[in-house]
Amino acid sequence: MTKAQNEFARRVALLGPLLLSFTTCAAAADLRLPETVEAGRGFSISADGSGKATLYLIGPDHVLKHTVTLGGDLQIQPADVHTAGRYQAIVCQGSCTSSFFEVKASQPAHLSFFLHPSRVPVSLPDSIDATVFVFDQYFNSVLTPTTVDFQIAPAEGARVSRRESTQHGIAWVHMNSSSREGQVHVTAAVGKVDETRVIQQVAAEACGVRMNAVESGNVVTIRTDLVRDCSGNALPDGTIVSFTMMDRDGKSTVDTPIKKGIAQTRFSISGPARITVACGVVLGNEVLLKGKL
Amino acid sequence: MNDAACNILIVKKRRTLWLRLVEAVVITVTASVLAAAQSLPQVRLDADGLAPRPIEELTATTILHTYSLAWSSLATTLESGGPERLGEQFVGAAKDRLVRRVNEQNQTGVHVRILDHGHQLKAIFYSTDGTAMQLVDTAQLEIQTFDGSRLIDTQSVPHQYVVLMTPGADRWYVRDLQEVSQKSF
Repeated sequence: MTKAQNEFARRVALLGPLLLSFTTCAAAADLRLPETVEAGRGFSISADGSGKATLYLIGPDHVLKHTVTLGGDLQIQPADVHTAGRYQAIVCQGSCTSSFFEVKASQPAHLSFFLHPSRVPVSLPDSIDATVFVFDQYFNSVLTPTTVDFQIAPAEGARVSRRESTQHGIAWVHMNSSSREGQVHVTAAVGKVDETRVIQQVAAEACGVRMNAVESGNVVTIRTDLVRDCSGNALPDGTIVSFTMMDRDGKSTVDTPIKKGIAQTRFSISGPARITVACGVVLGNEVLLKGKL
Repeated sequence: MNDAACNILIVKKRRTLWLRLVEAVVITVTASVLAAAQSLPQVRLDADGLAPRPIEELTATTILHTYSLAWSSLATTLESGGPERLGEQFVGAAKDRLVRRVNEQNQTGVHVRILDHGHQLKAIFYSTDGTAMQLVDTAQLEIQTFDGSRLIDTQSVPHQYVVLMTPGADRWYVRDLQEVSQKSF
């Protein structure tokens, strides 16, 4: 054997066990873990092999690094998987192997309920929007379809129910306002979890306006009857009623708010005059004073 | 050379230096802006069939810009380990979770490098009152995981996220960002 061959044989003899040991260490542990896990539930990961290794668990809001012993079950605690999302488990022993699992939200436990608008006219189609976001106890969005029951309870009249399924954690409905003014309680419920919101239904546009005039010398007092919408609800105080007087001097208009359901004003008159009344887009009757203009 | 001529020469030299300085600043700023623009991940938005409210053009532009900035900031934060570098695009649960994640990365010595190859956003819900928008993002990401300086994992597969965005006074925010498996949709 030459000197060079001897040297090669000596190096192989020295490096052999080292190479073997490296090959053993580099063998990636085979990970077995569930595809999906419910949030807040512990589980175990099986990893083949033997000896010590490093386990990494990387989630949306959590990073773990533990030294573990291969060949048994590696326990993942409930607190490690509170947040829904995709997690990655990596085991390194020389080389590394990784696998993914998904943590899904647990049972619905919280609802975020938005009702819009806070005041709505009566008898208006699709005027109320209700939107519900469904969350579990850890405030993860529950993305699996969930049935939401909406119940609309007006101050008077029958309750109305609607049932909708969530899509990606959200359910929404458009609803008609009912015909009577007053508070409406809208409840969204998923199982035993519910949330209630209250909106105010107010009278719609005036259905008609009628006024009477009472003359006293050169002053005329104009007063409307109770101003109502077409469902019979009195228009709220503050709604503007416009009175317009035309006489030989021209036209003058007075805008006055409704108080306790009626509106009134006074004009000075010095000859024939015509007075009209309007509320929103509704024109009322005409009154002629002291003959024709 | 007389004094006047000398002064003119000095003024000319000063002007030349000043112009060169301005040029240099302009070029630097332009380069920075371009670099910043180049470093922002590409985001596309599909809002067809969005319900119950259609998206406004300005809103779509703002959403794209905000989401792109959010991912740029997210990648920087996860790699650098500085939670204070997380941009103002994140609020609520999204921000809380990312800050926790970065803090735990720092404790364990783990960090993540994201090579962002773009996002395809699909808007799926926009509330009638305009206060919330839900989107699904299909992101082309290469994610490298390090323990210290040692690369322990590389993944280059599409990722899918369910995103909830809400408007503020003059901008939109990412309020929730949840990764889901491809099978979810």
